[in-house]
Amino acid sequence: MVLAIFTGIWYWLTRMNIGYTFGYVFAQPVVMALPIGLIMGDVPQAMMVGAAVELVYLGMISPGANMPADEALAGLIAIPIALQTNMTPEMAVVLAVPFGVLGVFLDQVRRTIHASLNHMADKYALTCNTKGIWMAATVWPLVIGFILRFPPVFLANLYGAEAVQGFMDIIPEWILHGLSVAGGVLPALGFAITIFIIGKKTLIPFFILGFFLVQYLEINIMAAAIFGTCIALLTVLMRQEKGGEKA
Amino acid sequence: MSDIYQESVKSDIKLTKKDVNKSFFLWWWICEISNSFERLQTLAFCACISPILKKLYPDEKDLSEALMRHLNFFNSQGIWGGLVHGITIAMEEQKARGEDVPEEAITGIKTGLMGPFAGIGDTVDWGTWKPICFALGVTFASNGSAIGAILPFLFTIITLIEGYYIWNLGYSLGQDSIKTVLKGGWVQELITGASILGLFMMGALSANFVKLTTPLTIKMANAEPLAIQNIFDQIAPGILPLAITFIIYWYLKNKGQNYTKILLTIIIASLLGALIGIF
Repeated sequence: MVLAIFTGIWYWLTRMNIGYTFGYVFAQPVVMALPIGLIMGDVPQAMMVGAAVELVYLGMISPGANMPADEALAGLIAIPIALQTNMTPEMAVVLAVPFGVLGVFLDQVRRTIHASLNHMADKYALTCNTKGIWMAATVWPLVIGFILRFPPVFLANLYGAEAVQGFMDIIPEWILHGLSVAGGVLPALGFAITIFIIGKKTLIPFFILGFFLVQYLEINIMAAAIFGTCIALLTVLMRQEKGGEKA
Repeated sequence: MSDIYQESVKSDIKLTKKDVNKSFFLWWWICEISNSFERLQTLAFCACISPILKKLYPDEKDLSEALMRHLNFFNSQGIWGGLVHGITIAMEEQKARGEDVPEEAITGIKTGLMGPFAGIGDTVDWGTWKPICFALGVTFASNGSAIGAILPFLFTIITLIEGYYIWNLGYSLGQDSIKTVLKGGWVQELITGASILGLFMMGALSANFVKLTTPLTIKMANAEPLAIQNIFDQIAPGILPLAITFIIYWYLKNKGQNYTKILLTIIIASLLGALIGIF
């Protein structure tokens, strides 16, 4: 019950993106995993599941604020259920995916309703009611957001685990194996999207360089970050020097 | 006479650094809250500069016009789009002082710049800083460490600092041509550098996190069965995960960005593969 209320409120408040990249970070699976883990008494497992779900959505951005998938809803439902039913992180990822899709639908409903706020503001502008405009930009969207976003997460976490557990008891072995294969491959989507967003074909060798540096030398991620920063700096500086000679 | 009088009164209005910074933080807090299909970030734009407009236009009629002017469509990216806000504030300040800044010029600058800067912002912040900061978090979290939930806030810190400077840069540029900024070249260099780092890190991370192997074997006449995975590993380790990443990339590039379809395809293909025993 505590968990259901907490996750419902968390979804509502963080998905509003209050404080642009501040609220956004709270809405991410790997971050929400910590409070969920604390409530459920298993931080390490919660972090592992959160990390796995996060990877799928790593590269996703929302051009024109059109969410491709709702990682907050995915995480807030998949992490608690995975912990309650002892799922592996790979399995939890697959459970998360449909909720990520459902979240997009919720967001579309929300932003359709928000259109009316603009018309409110138009009227306030005529009478110089700046306070009214401020309310239309902040308080009313929060109210709308609560009505739309609290109930689904609350209900899912109140009843979800039992349903999923019952389901898992009856499905055959090959499906479970297939789902964990999918869990291993799904992060590839996150990385592919990032390559796509950065969008410079000529720079793709840097991706391959990073990939095989880790495959062959098995360096950890901090080492990779240090090498990567040096390589990026060197490349930019060398380009500049070349440009300087020409000019 | 009356004209001169009016102008000297209006020229008293000056924005302080505090006014400009306050509007930035207001924007930072609310820019996405009221996002709608009809006008996206418009409402947030108007709300965050309304204190400034109120200060600049003591006259009700002017204020009302200014508010309506900024309820025209606006959508950019929260951080880099701030350059547009900064410029807009500077232009409004000049207009309020009685200088000849037509309404069309303000709206024109806004609509002209919001697109390009959204593009830069999406690439630098969402395409590069975000995956790097979160990937660092994921690396710790996948070992069960709570630090993984803290590290992503690096992204908040980086973008907050970035946004603060960009907003103020926009303000100081004021009426100057925006081309001088873009020509300076540093924006391009920053994007290239960030892109290289981003791609490199994504490569390094996908080596850790994308997992795909095959249990297939080839039966040999008088020897141990030959595991196909071993052959792959001898060619180059991680060839299957790398291949699947680039197949998805190719799909995104050529067939469109329908993420849901890709997600479902991966799940179905994995299930089928598991059923017939190739994964």
